[in-house]
Amino acid sequence: MVRNTHEIRLSNTLAALADPTRRAILARLASGELAVTELAKPFRMSLPAVSKHLKVLERAGLIVRSRSAQWRPCRLDARPLRDVAAFLDTYRSFWDESFGRLDDYLIELKQKEKKRGRKS
Amino acid sequence: MAARASDVKPHMTIVRVFDAPRELVWKAWTEPEHLARWFGPKGFTTPVCEADVRPGGTQRITMRGPDGTDYPMTAIYEEVVPPERLTWNGSVEHAGNVSFDVYQVATFADRNGKTELTLQAFVTRATPEAAGALGGMHEGWSQSLDKLDELLART
Repeated sequence: MVRNTHEIRLSNTLAALADPTRRAILARLASGELAVTELAKPFRMSLPAVSKHLKVLERAGLIVRSRSAQWRPCRLDARPLRDVAAFLDTYRSFWDESFGRLDDYLIELKQKEKKRGRKS
Repeated sequence: MAARASDVKPHMTIVRVFDAPRELVWKAWTEPEHLARWFGPKGFTTPVCEADVRPGGTQRITMRGPDGTDYPMTAIYEEVVPPERLTWNGSVEHAGNVSFDVYQVATFADRNGKTELTLQAFVTRATPEAAGALGGMHEGWSQSLDKLDELLART
């Protein structure tokens, strides 16, 4: 169950991050908590539209909305991003190592092509 | 797929210059006997390497780690524009129990006889099992979603 919950959260994180407006919202929150009206200012969309994005982010666990203050400020919670970041790190080193091998292999291929060129 | 919309930024980009002409780099990427020689981390071998490089064609690769563990992978090629652009959808296993669906775009640019390769990755989904066992696991996945719904309804 723990594993499945973990996976669902990860899928929610990815879905939430797939949208450029939501990424922009997260970027704005990186510098500190903001009220929704303040948060919505740079976006060319209605307040309800921004609220919809906030709900998706909240569900993905990427933002927390305080219930204590009257103005319910939004705060960034970057923890779910760590899973995605961990995967991307592994993915990058996979390709870095493969490309190191491809460098060597291309030298071999070039020599082979040269030899073949000389024969014909 | 959402990842193809132009306003979606890749989750990861790698740019690398190879000291070989574009046609040769393309060949190394698209002919299985060459692909098997470099694909995978150091110390890995590739006992299975099939690549039907055309739109809708399947790529099947099994990598074998230094400890003998096999890692099967399947991908489907989408755009094939020799020797410039290759895109494919694949599942990549991570940490044994979660795999990610990744849409990948490789572009090959000529730089005075060398080749600049740009690889972009768009993570489109996280799935619960290794790529090799995807078939049976889809069911398990939706079942676990149902269970979570039940659990949430009760709390």
